Order: sequence, then structure tokens, then C-alpha cells
Amino acid sequence: MKTITCDQFHHFLYSIREDFEIVGPVILHDGTLSLGRLTAEPLALFAGRIPFRFTSLFFPHSERLFAMSDEYRFDKSGSSAKPLLVVGWRAEDLEALEFIDEFFRTGFRDDVFCDRRQSSVVIGVSGRCGVNGEFCRISEGKCDMELIYDGKHFIMAEYTENGRFLSEKIVWGEETDSLEALLQESRALRTPEREILQTASQLLMRNQVDDDFWAEIADRCIQCTSCTNVCPTCTCFDVYDMRLKRKIERYRMWDSCQMSGFMREASGHNPLASQSDRTRRRIRHKLVDDLHRWGRMTCFLCGRCDDVCPTGIGMKAVAAEIVERFG
Amino acid sequence: MKKTLTTCPFCATGCMYYLQSDHDKFVGIEPSTVHSIAKGHPCVKGWNAFQFIHHPDRLTTPLIRKNGVLEAAGWEEALDLVVHTLPSLQARYGHDSIMFFSSARTTNEENYLFMKLARAVFKTNNVDHCARLCHSSSVLGLAATFGSGAMSNSISCVDEADTFFVIGSNTTENHPQIGARILQSVKRGAKLIVADSRTIRLAKAATLHLRHRNGSDVALINGMMHVIIRDGLENREFIESRTQNYEQLKNTVLRYPPSIVAEITGLTPQEIIDAAHLYATSPAAMIIYSVGITQHTHGVDNVRSLANLAMLTGHVGRPGTGVNPLRGQNNVQGACDMGALPNVFSGYQKVADEAVRQKFVNEWRVADLPAHAGLPMTRALNAAERGEIKGLYIVGEDPVISDPDQGHVRNALQQLDFLVVQDIFLTATAEYADVVLPAACFAEKDGTFTSTERRIQRVRKAALPIGGARADWEIFCEIASRAGYKYMHYNAPSEIMDEIARVTPIYGGISYSRIDQIGLQWPCLDEHHPGTPILHVGRFVGGMGCFCPAEYRPPAETPDAEYPFILTTGRSYFHYHTGSMTRRTRLLEREENRSYVEINPVDAHRLGIRDRDFVMVATRRGEIVMSARMTKDITPGVLFITFHFEESPGNLLTNNALDPESHIPEYKVCAARITRKP
Ligand code: SF4
Ligand code: SF4
Repeated sequence: MKTITCDQFHHFLYSIREDFEIVGPVILHDGTLSLGRLTAEPLALFAGRIPFRFTSLFFPHSERLFAMSDEYRFDKSGSSAKPLLVVGWRAEDLEALEFIDEFFRTGFRDDVFCDRRQSSVVIGVSGRCGVNGEFCRISEGKCDMELIYDGKHFIMAEYTENGRFLSEKIVWGEETDSLEALLQESRALRTPEREILQTASQLLMRNQVDDDFWAEIADRCIQCTSCTNVCPTCTCFDVYDMRLKRKIERYRMWDSCQMSGFMREASGHNPLASQSDRTRRRIRHKLVDDLHRWGRMTCFLCGRCDDVCPTGIGMKAVAAEIVERFG
Repeated sequence: MKKTLTTCPFCATGCMYYLQSDHDKFVGIEPSTVHSIAKGHPCVKGWNAFQFIHHPDRLTTPLIRKNGVLEAAGWEEALDLVVHTLPSLQARYGHDSIMFFSSARTTNEENYLFMKLARAVFKTNNVDHCARLCHSSSVLGLAATFGSGAMSNSISCVDEADTFFVIGSNTTENHPQIGARILQSVKRGAKLIVADSRTIRLAKAATLHLRHRNGSDVALINGMMHVIIRDGLENREFIESRTQNYEQLKNTVLRYPPSIVAEITGLTPQEIIDAAHLYATSPAAMIIYSVGITQHTHGVDNVRSLANLAMLTGHVGRPGTGVNPLRGQNNVQGACDMGALPNVFSGYQKVADEAVRQKFVNEWRVADLPAHAGLPMTRALNAAERGEIKGLYIVGEDPVISDPDQGHVRNALQQLDFLVVQDIFLTATAEYADVVLPAACFAEKDGTFTSTERRIQRVRKAALPIGGARADWEIFCEIASRAGYKYMHYNAPSEIMDEIARVTPIYGGISYSRIDQIGLQWPCLDEHHPGTPILHVGRFVGGMGCFCPAEYRPPAETPDAEYPFILTTGRSYFHYHTGSMTRRTRLLEREENRSYVEINPVDAHRLGIRDRDFVMVATRRGEIVMSARMTKDITPGVLFITFHFEESPGNLLTNNALDPESHIPEYKVCAARITRKP
């Protein structure tokens, strides 16, 4: 395994910018941390978790799927010429990505997502790379390459062909075998939140959470849809058409189960008519339904919904409240 | 992948976020996580604010009415027609025969230029905008008591209040980020008094929910003050050192003991006492109100009474206190600040004041400026109906949908000789126009909006205007120069702001470089001034605070045998105002796509109405068909409708009875009848 400094890594990325569209953490105009194209500035790899739904790179807020001319000519939206190289995701981000990969590939394959995803390369970041140097869990294989920060250098772990291909292009760096200690540190990280989530999941499964609880939580939801919009494992979208002069364009955009129109039938009847039904669904879906369907809960505790919910009812907060009251 | 930091166009809370675009196509929103209000979470409207921008219905070319039909035309022809027709009407019917409706949706720079156009180029003070319809009562009521008509505190004060008194504001729906912040404070232990006849979302979290009769606000507030004085809870020191006219207030509220107020409001005496005690004994209590207070024939009295209550208890001029009108449209605060009002220039400087006029004469390099106040918007439509206003230039407003008594508005527009409408879509109002000018929307131009907390924030151009549309400010400059006026040339909106800062003391320290990342709150007097988060600290803007007691007056129209219900109006969370933008946004339109009337199940059963039935709602102005929504959240005897839907416009029903001082219409109460549609 090779080690490489931050500077060297930046130079490396810069040197391959003709071959890849390189995207990673950047600081926007007012200080917001986001994803952006590589510039001459180094990427903000130590600025913490990207608050926005980072999977939007593959499944954007809205996108044109195709256009159809009035002669029924069909024009599929093309993807960009260069393959995408994404840098800077954390272990829980990579777990979320792994899930939506599976989701969009299974059964009815989602071509738009898969085309974009297939040609991409993902480089995770972990180790002592937190904002204050705290330790971020090592994903151990959920990306093409992982940069594990030991406090001075990145140790490069290649997990796929793509990863090895990139690593071979790096001319700097020294060989090291010091990963074992970091791995042990990573595996020893305590995960009390995961235990809470699991307990909440079991309580829900055993039907021990009453309706009054949901009504109470739902009264605080202002239906801003921020929670679902920043969630990296939310995959619901709505499709709509724009009628232009000589063609129709079809788009899709993120939908939110927190809206009443999400399930409402044309007649006006709505299986999720009350906000309390919708709040219950938001939590139960990830903690129970997905566990049955995909074999795992699909909340990876990234904390984005908790950070954005203006009334404090994100996943972690609700799970903690469930455990406290019904556990 | 381009991300442009800008300010939300959907309400005056003033969230900032990034518009995401790809090759000049708008593809999404990304929140700013550091913005003091948005904090990473726009509301549902904000999250969807990118879709209407390139909607195929956007106006892309000027239109001119030829043989009764609006036809596409070139800019030259359209602008020439405007520049020739308006002066010729003035030549025939006098300077004040034309009227300018400015827009609370456009930028500060554009509002400033539009009022400059009216005053310097067309020599009339007939300029106004829709603040007339929402908070003109606040501007007057708070100016009389505190000396300044804007929100006294900052949105962040919500985090510091111990008690909230929310009256006439459905905060979580109309100012969602502020509503959510109130909910958070309540969760932390703050107390909440909600006075609203509907069980709005905030009411569910309230310590005390007062379902007082619609339109009985003055009685309720006087009743609270009566109890406060009776029980010795008034803030003596504050009253003595900072206010005047206390004796008069005392004499007035003496006549409002809980027993009498209970009769007027339908509350129990104990509820009034509890509310008074809770508000008065809190270390920091914050009054939050909105158009449920202002849109009455006694709107100014309502506002004054709230100001009286705050002064009586000393809940002004400190963090977590104050009297806080939540402004509605994204830049309605700014449109007022910029002097798009008939009696003031920018910064509320009176046109009647000789010295002020001279200052503008010098800055604008004109021979003189008109000294008498112009017409308020509501009166102007009446004047148009009578044939006294001949020409009307409307920017970014749709009075057919937004003004009360739609039949009257349509009639007034028909009487006009010449109507110019400048907008981004062909609105119901634009269908009456002789000339339609296609404008750029918020994402296609630079400028500033001023939020409800007086914060001046940047709006940024993220793409070129669609088709042949142009930014409003550029259109105004074109018109001015075609009309022969030489001093309306700017290379960019930042230069307009520099001029605003020169002539407007409260904006004196504003420049684009200072508000590049986060806006400043006015008053900001010079380039070193840090802005003012809280007004009236230690001293009222007007010097001493002045108690202005008000007597209860019933609404202009009350239920009777023929029209037995009270009809009140409001908004849906999912739509912004007349819906021209939000109804062209997929998820928002899906959420709420037709007009509805809320009715209590008790009333509904009695009338044989079931949920989602089609019903006819009628008032003395007209009738509309809509779908019934049964909910216990509304009191028996009251109906609630919104006004966003052109197909069954709520404002066909509302009453154009005006407050005698602010000329605001009484949207909030009229008498109605409801029947099931067979
Ligand atoms: S972020 Fe919070 S308030 Fe917004 S929709 Fe989600 S749960 Fe509701
Ligand atoms: S609260 Fe108002 S300003 Fe903020 S996102 Fe919603 S509509 Fe826009």
C-alpha cells in the first residue's frame, strides 16, 4: 500500500483532470460545504460531511429523461463524455451508495442511473479526517479506492480494478504496511446510535409504538420535505412532462413521502391521508420495510435529516424518542 | 454544474440557497447551510423554486393588443407605444390620470427605479404596490406608536423568547422557517399563546389557544390590557421613562373588563385573564402577527393595540420581544423601503417635506417633483372605475386574482384607456392589457430583496433571461431614456444600490460588497454601521413611544339570515400568492390543485355536505364552486378559503370595504352562504 500527502494527491487529481470529470468537497460562496468540480484549489477533504444529498451526482434533484418530437422522434438525454471521478465520501455515505446501486439495478433496471454510475470511479475518505481530527470509520471496500488518513498522510487502499488503475498512475508515495492499527481503531469505534436504531426497528416491528406517538411527532412536521431531499437513500421520484412548441420533454424529480399528494389517488382518496401516517411511513420504511425487502435497514446514520429538520424530528431523534418511550 | 447563491422568491422569511443549473437549465436547489435563517432547510416552496423558471408558459416577447387580440411584437414598438401613450393621456387628463403599480416580487433596485420613473419622469406620486393589501396597516399603526413600521426584532429572537403571542398569523404555513423555529422554542419550554379561530398547526402546540371571533381582535387585546392594569402587571418604569399618553390608554381599556370582552370575542373571561398574565409576566414575550391582524377595516387599530400591549409590559427593544409583523411577499418590505408608496420616497421620506423633495430634485436632476401624495392602489382602482384614472402600468402583480371583489377589479381594468402589464407569465390581469412586457424572473437578474427582518440580501443572475425577456430595471431605464430623461443609466444594479444608499439614510451603508455573503439589517446608516437586528433599544425610533388606544368596531359585514357564515381567507402552504409560479411547479400543484373551502363537520352535516363534495359559496359579490374540506380545525359558523386559484377565485367573494386610514381591504371577514352543489 502506498502513502501520499494531501498536496501530492491534489497534484495527482489535477494531472488527470483531462481524463475524468473530477468532483469532490468544495466550499461554496457563503461557506456552505458542497460537491463541486475540481479547480486549482485543493478539495475540502477535511471539512466534514457534505450536508447535501451527495448521491445527487447520480440521481439529481431533477433531470430530463428524454424528449419526443411531434414526429415521435425520441431523443434520449446523453450522459457526459468523461467518466466521473468522485472523491471524499465517508463510510456511511458509501453504504448508502451501495444500497441505491442495488435498488436501481434490481428488477426493473434504471438505465439513467446505471449509465451514469457505471462509468464512475468513487474514492472514499476515512481515518483521522474529521473536522477536528476525529476518527472516521474505514469503509473497508465499499468504493474503488479509499484514502485513509493517519494524521499526516493518506494511505491508499485499492479495492477494485479502477482503484488499482488509478493507484498505478501515482508516481509519488512510499510503501507502507501501517494500516492494521488504523483498521483496529476503526473496528473498535463504538456505535451506540446503531444500537438505538436497531432497538427502534424491533419495537416498530413488534408494533409497540402507538398511534398517539406518531400524531404527536407529526404535529411538529411542517412538511418542508428537507429530510427526504437530503437523504442519500431516498429514491422516490415523480415524473412530469413539459410541453414545448414542437416537442415534449419528460423529466423526473425527487418526490417526498411527506407530501399528501405523494399517494393521493385521482379520486382524492389517500392511503396516507394524515401527516401522522406519513411520518410513520418515513421512519418505518427505512427501519422495518427495507429490512424485510433488502435485508438491511436503509438508514446508515449519516445524520443529514437530523441536521436539516427544522423541528427536530429527523431519524436519529425519532428513533431515540421511540426507544426512550417504548423500549 | 453551476451553483448560484440567491434569495428565495416565495416569501419574506428570506431564506438563501443555491440555484443549481446545468448549461443554463435549472435543475435543482441546494440549501445554504450557513445562512442564518435557511440553515440548510428551505420550506417546500423553496425546495421547488427552480421549476417555473423555464416553464413553457413564460412570456418571451412583448405583446401588443391589435384588433382586440394580444399579438407578438418587437421591443421597439412596444416601448414606443408605452412612452407615447402615457404622456398623451397625461396631456389630456392631467398628470395624475395615470397610475403605477409596483411589485413586491421585484428587487429593491427595480422598485426604486419604478418610483423614480413615476416621480421624476412622469411627475406623479401615483405609485403604490401590494403592501397596500397586506401591511399598510402595520406601516401606519407602528409608525404612530413606535415611529417605525417594520418588524421590531429579528427572526433569531424567536430562539430567545420565553412567550409568544401569535395572532393573525398561520406562521408554519406562510413563514415556515419562522413557524418551525417557534415550534422548536416551545419544545425547549417557551410558552405559546395562539389567537386564531382556526386550529392552525401552531395551535396544536399552544399553551393557550384563543379561538376568538374573527374581527374581535381589538376587544381581545384591550381586554388583556385591562387585566394587566387591574392586576398591577404593567411595567411602570418602562411606561414612565419611554412612553406617553398612558392615561388615555388606561381610560380606554378600563371599559373592556373580561366579562364584556368575553361577550364580544366568544372566549371565556378566564381565557382572557390567563393570556394577559402569561404575556405580562414573562421575562421576554414576543408578539408575532401577520395579515390576520392587518386586513380588516380596523386593521390600523389592531396594530396599534398590539403596540400598546407591548409598551404596557415593556416587551420592546430587547432580544426575544417586540412587535413583529411578518411580511408576506419576498420583497414587500423592500418595496415599501424603496418608496413604491404614494406619499413617501425611499426610506419613508415624505414627499410633502420640502427639504426631502429638494434632495431628490438634486439627485435626480429634475426641475421639480410633485408635492402632494398620490393615490393608494385600492383607491386607484375605484378611481379607474369612475374614469378618473386612464392609464395604468402594472409590474409583477395580478390584481384580478389578488385584490378583493374581483368583479369590481375587472370592471376597473376594462374602463382604462391604456393598461401596461409587465410580468413573467400571462396573468389574468395581463389579459386586459394593451401592452404586455416580458420580464426576467428572480433567477435571471441581479439585485436585492429585503426580508421581513429588514435584511437586505443579494439576488443573483444564474442564467440569461428566457427568450426576449428583459430585467425589469433595464426596461424602466429604456422607458426613461425614450421619454427623454437622461439620468437613469446604470451599468449594473449595484450602481442603482449606490444611488439608493446616497439618498436613503436607513440604507446609507448598504453596498453589494458588504452584503456579498450575508445581508445587513436596516437601519444601516453608513459604511461602518453594523446594521440593526433590534429596533427601539433604549429609545423608540420615534423618540418616545406613544400609546394610541383604539375602540372595538365590528367588521364591515357580519353574518345575517341571508349570509349566515363568516367567510375568512388565507393561504395554502403550497402556493405563493396568485399561484402564477407555484401552480406551474409540479409537486406544489399536485399537492393543492383546486380551490377548497374548510367547513366544520357540524355545519357540514346540517347542510348535507360531505368531504370533497362540490359546494357553492356565495357572498354579496358573487359565488364560486369549490370542493368542501371537512375539518374540526375550523370553528362552526366560519368558512375558510384561499385565493390562489384562478378557476374559482376566492377574491371574487371578498369585500372591498377599506380601513379608513390604511385603505386596506377587509379580506379577513365577510358574510357568506354555502350550499351543496346538486
Ligand atoms: S425535515 Fe422535519 S419538518 Fe421537514 S418534512 Fe422532514 S420531518 Fe417534516
Ligand atoms: S420559508 Fe419562505 S423564504 Fe424560506 S424557503 Fe420557504 S418560501 Fe422561501
